Amino acid sequence: MYEVLMFDGGVHKVDELLDLIEDVGGFILQRTQIQVMITLTIAIPGEDRPLIEKKAAELGGKIIEVPLAGTEIAVIGPTLGRHHMPHPICDIAEHLRRYGAITIVMGLARGRGRKTCQISAAEKAIIEEYDAAIFMLGNFTECVTHEKIDLYKDIQIPVVTVIGPELESLPHCEALVCGVGRKVERMRRSEEIAKLEEIADRVKEVIDKRRVEIDEDPLFVHPSEIKDALEDMEAVQVCLRPAPIVLHVDGLRVKIPYKKHVKELEELEVYGHKLKDIAIISDCRLGDSTMIKIKTKAEVEGKVR
Amino acid sequence: MVEFELEGTEQYALESYQWLLQRILMDMGISTMVERVRLVIRPDQTLFIISMRIKQSGSKRPLYDIADTESQEGGTFITIKDESYAPRLLSNLWHKYGRERVQQLTRLEIFVEGAPVEEITDIRLDPEEEVRSQLLDAMWRLLPEGLKVRNEYFNDDVMTIVATEHGMTVDFIAEAQNVHRNMIKGPEED
Repeated sequence: MYEVLMFDGGVHKVDELLDLIEDVGGFILQRTQIQVMITLTIAIPGEDRPLIEKKAAELGGKIIEVPLAGTEIAVIGPTLGRHHMPHPICDIAEHLRRYGAITIVMGLARGRGRKTCQISAAEKAIIEEYDAAIFMLGNFTECVTHEKIDLYKDIQIPVVTVIGPELESLPHCEALVCGVGRKVERMRRSEEIAKLEEIADRVKEVIDKRRVEIDEDPLFVHPSEIKDALEDMEAVQVCLRPAPIVLHVDGLRVKIPYKKHVKELEELEVYGHKLKDIAIISDCRLGDSTMIKIKTKAEVEGKVR
Repeated sequence: MVEFELEGTEQYALESYQWLLQRILMDMGISTMVERVRLVIRPDQTLFIISMRIKQSGSKRPLYDIADTESQEGGTFITIKDESYAPRLLSNLWHKYGRERVQQLTRLEIFVEGAPVEEITDIRLDPEEEVRSQLLDAMWRLLPEGLKVRNEYFNDDVMTIVATEHGMTVDFIAEAQNVHRNMIKGPEED
């Protein structure tokens, strides 16, 4: 099983580390170089981690755990109005990025209010393209327990709910964090940072659970292996959007238009298989992107035989 | 220090909205302008009432406090020191002397034709109107976004807003008017 880690160090002799990663069959997920400092997000086979750690120490760098690397998480508020944004929704999104997640912030069109709050099928479909969703639901117990829970009731991905009042539990969500209600300023007090940590911990648990579920019937290839193949595509190389390839727990989002590149993607070769045989390629609901959901070993091998 | 009175069915909601309002007022720099606030929050009925009493700002601000005046040939020359009062001073001068006699030379310099310096120095400016508009903005920032059906009551010192989601009932209006009346009377007469 691949482990996603971050190397933080200098550029001196970093090629030795890059070679070692390649030798052990690992991948570079993201490379950020600022003058003589370099940050690498890497995916390596778990059993080779001591080798990488030894080499990182030799180069004077350090290996950091990024438990949410390789995930894309949506942080959702009732609306994009100033009552909910930028705090605390953007604070949560920013905090999760520190653990390696790619996060997006989303406001529902009609999520405010009590009896009038609603979520559309299109919004649900967009949210379901992510690995997990965080719903921020406000300060009123009555409102949260009676109406707001319906917003995420039918969503098919893990949901972490964040609310103000202290409650034991809420239905339909995988995790609940209480004590974060409406805010009008940045969450920077120690108790607020502790709450952000708590949210990150709950998200980590939810993602770990999802990874364990996937491991029961493992994916045919790790998403980073497909990323490696996709990086050779010209359309990806010329794509100017930030992070043109985003890893998910069970697939990838490639920020190139589906209609224009679907044929090329289907024919892409990964370990002797065409991509269309080992993954489901579909149009993305948001922006000109393509979603790739990797099939499990059982699905692919059953079909091959 | 703003005096808060809280009434409602959910303690967390009341305390968090008190804290939110304090932060909003502080953020806007108008905490000192509010004397008393009453919040009535009943989420089970979808009712939110906020009533705010403005602190009496005492006397109006004299012109010599915010600007320097100098007598010149044919009129008075004014140099504004506190720019936040510039729009009110200008409109006051326009009202008193007419636009043709008031020349705004630069952002902070005004020349008033044919006005003696003693008369200009006697002008006093009322900050209340701006305070009211800022407090109204703070109340709008605080009110939950979903409660779109709103009624407002205001007089010189007190502003009250009652908000709900669907239909405004007679009971809600009566309660808001009662809160508004009590706020006008002051704490000792409640």
